[in-house]
Amino acid sequence: MKKLALLAAAILLSACGVRGKSQDSVVRRRLDGEPKTLNPILATTDAEQIVLALVERNLLDYDEKLNLVPGLAEDVSDSPDHLTTTIRLRKDARWEDGTPVTSADVVFTLTTLLDPKTPALTRRALFDGFVRAEAVDARTARVMFKTVAAGRRDAFNLPLLSAAAWAGGDVATHPRNRNPLANGPYRLGSWEAGRTLTLVRNTQYFGEKPAPEQVIFRVVPETAPAFAALGTGDLDEMRLTAAQKKELDAKAGTAGTADVPRVITFDELSYIYFGWNNRLSVFADRRVRRALTMLVDRESIGRNLYGGLAKLANGPLPPAHWAWDSSIAPWPYDPKAAEALLDDAGFRKGADGTRRKGALRLAFTLSLGMGSDIQRQIVELAQQSYRKAGIDMAIQPLEWAAFAAKMDAGELEAWAAALNLDPNPDLAVSWHSGQVPPTGLNSAFYRNSEVDSLLDRLKTTFDKEETRALLAHVQALIHEDEPVTFLNVPLTKWGVASRLTNVRTSPYGLFLFWPGAAGWRTSATTGPIS
Amino acid sequence: MLRFTLRRAASALLTLLGVLALVFGLVTAAPGDAAALAARAGGNRAVSVSPEALAAFRHLYGLDRPVAERFLTWTWRALRLDFGRSLVDGQPVTARIARALPTTFALNLAALFLACLVGVPLGVAAARRPGGRLDRISGFVCDALFSTPTFVLGLLLLLVFSGWLRVTPVFADAETGLSGFVLPVVTLALASLALVARFVRVCVAAALADPAARAGRARGEGPPAEIRRALRRSSAPFAAMGAALVPAVVSGSILVERVFSLPGAGGLLAEAVFARDLPTVLALTLLSAVVVVAASLAADLVTAALDPRTVRADDAPPRGIAP
Repeated sequence: MKKLALLAAAILLSACGVRGKSQDSVVRRRLDGEPKTLNPILATTDAEQIVLALVERNLLDYDEKLNLVPGLAEDVSDSPDHLTTTIRLRKDARWEDGTPVTSADVVFTLTTLLDPKTPALTRRALFDGFVRAEAVDARTARVMFKTVAAGRRDAFNLPLLSAAAWAGGDVATHPRNRNPLANGPYRLGSWEAGRTLTLVRNTQYFGEKPAPEQVIFRVVPETAPAFAALGTGDLDEMRLTAAQKKELDAKAGTAGTADVPRVITFDELSYIYFGWNNRLSVFADRRVRRALTMLVDRESIGRNLYGGLAKLANGPLPPAHWAWDSSIAPWPYDPKAAEALLDDAGFRKGADGTRRKGALRLAFTLSLGMGSDIQRQIVELAQQSYRKAGIDMAIQPLEWAAFAAKMDAGELEAWAAALNLDPNPDLAVSWHSGQVPPTGLNSAFYRNSEVDSLLDRLKTTFDKEETRALLAHVQALIHEDEPVTFLNVPLTKWGVASRLTNVRTSPYGLFLFWPGAAGWRTSATTGPIS
Repeated sequence: MLRFTLRRAASALLTLLGVLALVFGLVTAAPGDAAALAARAGGNRAVSVSPEALAAFRHLYGLDRPVAERFLTWTWRALRLDFGRSLVDGQPVTARIARALPTTFALNLAALFLACLVGVPLGVAAARRPGGRLDRISGFVCDALFSTPTFVLGLLLLLVFSGWLRVTPVFADAETGLSGFVLPVVTLALASLALVARFVRVCVAAALADPAARAGRARGEGPPAEIRRALRRSSAPFAAMGAALVPAVVSGSILVERVFSLPGAGGLLAEAVFARDLPTVLALTLLSAVVVVAASLAADLVTAALDPRTVRADDAPPRGIAP
């Protein structure tokens, strides 16, 4: 009966040409998947984070330069011994029901997050060493730790759960997970599963009210239909492929196309690389690993596959990171020098054209997760180049889940992937010898005691310039060792409707910094609502 | 006939159990578990995942229990229509499927109806003059449709009619009304239509070439009566074809839902497989298998009713054993 009523309403609305709110006060955005939860401490996917960025402020937010700035908290400060963090909340921070955001919410959130029964997969590790949280007064909370961690301030880029709303019941299956209580500029208006999720302005929000009255997120898993929708105005923004960017550029060059979406390009904290399992004999010698890098024409990849919108990667930090060391020259594309390195390493061409060192053939299988055409093309180009140099590389495409599982388990010989970093990534997670699988993400099984020691020092270094110097040293050492082949840093390409203004970018993307999409305007909403 | 029906029903039940056990085994054996994949949901991020949180996730959904125990528990609960909670969002699987099913049912039924509405007359018309112009053209079109992947077909229609000509909406929702369903239904129907038209053409052409048809014509039967007779004679193969169409349409709808961003059971199944969401995969597999097996069973029974020889052949003892 309900379905029939819905159908009747649909036909009626269609017939009357009713489209609800004026189009100018609505922003229509794309989600590439359905959010599984809107519980901010359980959220992991991009879709969930993108929606929550408009619904929940964090205690501290990243600004567009990725500095941590006050959010729900007006101040977050450490004790001199860095074992106690004091959080002072804003006086005017409120939940959408009008109740104030209090220290009880901070304590409830941290207690829930750190509860062993809570499956908070990605946030909990940031609070290693947590002892307890306590409310000092209604606006002040104190968090005690038993260990010092220099990167801990980033953990307070933390959204809160309302203690009143989420109390009782299992946090993993709580009904509020699909109906969160907002403290940000928007609140959840409606959620039609698998189809749309509508946010409306939160009248209780303490900050500057956002200009658009509504944000309608639409679940569009495939990129081609989304691109068609961007063209028809059914979507106002989407991430573009290189081919889609080229198409929009071509349209924009045609006269009388004022409505063509514009393209925004920017640097993000990510890079693509070939991973080498350093435990295997073929990859044990860094001369071989350097040769593998020098045989890949990364300039050509950037030019031809990314349309010129990719830089060369030179190490474990991308250029968008504040501590990136620009003085490290990427390994050049130099097949002759690469072959000389392989000869030096004892891998000489045999009768069959493949290099050998005794009984050891320079042969391996490189796996990649299915889904990225460009990665596939890069791998094929590398395969040709390697073959000419006497390296036998087989390509094994894997379903993404299987690929990720094997990579995490350290079972792959070699792999191609893109790596996304957080604003202040802990490089130890990927490069410390204590972080090899199955416990860590050092799937290359990279071991360098000097790097380990520097990474350990970074954990207790609070001075920014000292941190920069240590990170520069780490980058230089990893560059010399080349445990993986750092390929390219592709620029992110985004299509944005011409009617949207004040669209700003950050190395953390378009949405996960403050104000992000909350600061967008449409042609009809030029100023903030006070 | 009763013995035949019981035997077919028992075989259908065994098929269902076999399908479930196979799917359970395959998803369980596939690399990657739901907990690790949930942690990886943001892509390949250099963020460490708490082992305690992973353990909590696995414990919450019983992933830390032995495989056989999990399968038996799931089957026992499923018998009471309790399909558990999704590993993706913690919601009851029944509720997730109930939300998705109306879209899929509507899409599949409309597509089947359209495929038969166009495919049967087209097949009959082609069969009346085998080798004629209509037969050749329809054969070419049907072969082209049949060999075009549904995903590609849907994308082409979407780009042409929604993106370029802008005569149909890109999305189907309350704003666009029924017009949003036109392209998904047509896409799904086109592939089945090719099958229906070619199958009908072959059956009717054979029936028209039959001595009984020639005798009818000699008796002065006009074309309408001739066609009616041919269709009647082909009804048993048609029933078998109907059963064969159901799985084709069900699997096709997975792709169509994805292209047209429809929140149906097909999209839910694809998402569940990639996330190793076993409870959802099993429940949807069961549902899909029930539909397919029921269609097959119905086809067997209809065929048996129309042509009792199939029952007799089925009931005959194996060779070498005295009656």
